[in-house]
Amino acid sequence: MRFLRHDMHSLSGAYALDAIEGGSELDRFTRHLSRCASCASEVRGFREVATALAFAATAEPPSELRDRVLAAAARTRQLPPEVRTHARPRRTRAWPHKVPWVPWLSGVVATASIVVAVLFGFAQAHTQQELDQARAVNQAISLLLSSPQATLLSHSTTKGGVATVVLVADRHELAVITNGLPALPAGKVYQLWLIGKTKTVSAGLLPPATAGRTPAVLASGVVKGDTLGLTVEPAPGSIQPTTKPILALPLPV
Amino acid sequence: MNPSDSDASRFKSATTDRRGERDLDDLLVHVARGDTEAFEAVYDRLVGPVYGVTRRVLRDPSHSEEVTQEVLLEVWRTAARFDPAMGGAATWVMTIAHRRAIDRVRSTTAAADREHKTADVHTPHDEVAEAVEASLDRERVRRCLEGLTDVQRESITLAYYGGYSYRQVSELLKVTLGAIKTRIRDGLIRMRDCLGVS
Repeated sequence: MRFLRHDMHSLSGAYALDAIEGGSELDRFTRHLSRCASCASEVRGFREVATALAFAATAEPPSELRDRVLAAAARTRQLPPEVRTHARPRRTRAWPHKVPWVPWLSGVVATASIVVAVLFGFAQAHTQQELDQARAVNQAISLLLSSPQATLLSHSTTKGGVATVVLVADRHELAVITNGLPALPAGKVYQLWLIGKTKTVSAGLLPPATAGRTPAVLASGVVKGDTLGLTVEPAPGSIQPTTKPILALPLPV
Repeated sequence: MNPSDSDASRFKSATTDRRGERDLDDLLVHVARGDTEAFEAVYDRLVGPVYGVTRRVLRDPSHSEEVTQEVLLEVWRTAARFDPAMGGAATWVMTIAHRRAIDRVRSTTAAADREHKTADVHTPHDEVAEAVEASLDRERVRRCLEGLTDVQRESITLAYYGGYSYRQVSELLKVTLGAIKTRIRDGLIRMRDCLGVS
């Protein structure tokens, strides 16, 4: 690469204003951004400045545009969220890969069981990809735990065993671990749900238990009025719950 | 608005919506679940700046309308991918809006068209509250832009509102490429501090 690091860094402003023309320079800077946490954070701040510039340019569009956009939305299928669980590792995720390292348990919540669950994530990882996945989840959980807004909830299920939840309401995120749930027959899985007033969405599958404990599952998109549900579903999980929840834990969001 | 609010929180409430950034983030979470009422609310709050910025960049009203529609549909379609950890909802939407406008301007036909169009890009809002809000934003941004050096201010406004690449800005202002990159970055740092964004 002919560009010096300093040169790369000075492009952050032009990048935030979309003033780098497409092509190799933009590609190089985008790659640089994925490795440079301080650049990413600087770009985020500059984008907020750009947002202020946009608001300062506020103008009223023709009123008929509203109906046109709403009608077009009604005909347009929405993209599903990216699912993040141990059970289904994915390489491309928007969330934890750029979060800064947060020291373990620097916040108010300290739950040994969560730590144990995360360590099981490491213990179960066999490949580099699984290890990376376990590390990313580990980072994301430590970020949740260190949030001053984190709330710890724990509840037993109707079939025995306990689910423990770390909820960070202002980030709309939670992490779930369980201990002592009955083992399931082959072809059945435990599935988590966010049960809202009007909609129920899957929050992922519980990974297989080790010594009775399941590694942490992260879920985002928690909103006011949601209840965390846990059901037994036919593998590989269902789109909507098909059995009565064995846990229904209202979330204080 | 509480007069003791910090600059940062005043900026947030003035540039996002009357009830604060958190609400907009929440709305987007609902939009991701297919809630059309939430989408209408997002539309009402953000269509002004989305249309405003595309109009600034593209000039042509019908192109601007098309791009505004594309942007809001993308918000509807991809709301589930919105990540509050990476910045607020308004910033997410404005980033999409500006990129779409730039994509349009860098396609040659649009570039040719805009040479021949002029438009009053300061079209005021009808709704009083929004007009007040917008003028508050405008005033703050104007004041902060005034605090920049001439080259910083011109390079930022040419790049953002003009839709020029930094190479084009360098040509227009007869300043070297290296200097333009630095002026844009330094100017944005000053703007960031002046506006009180984190």
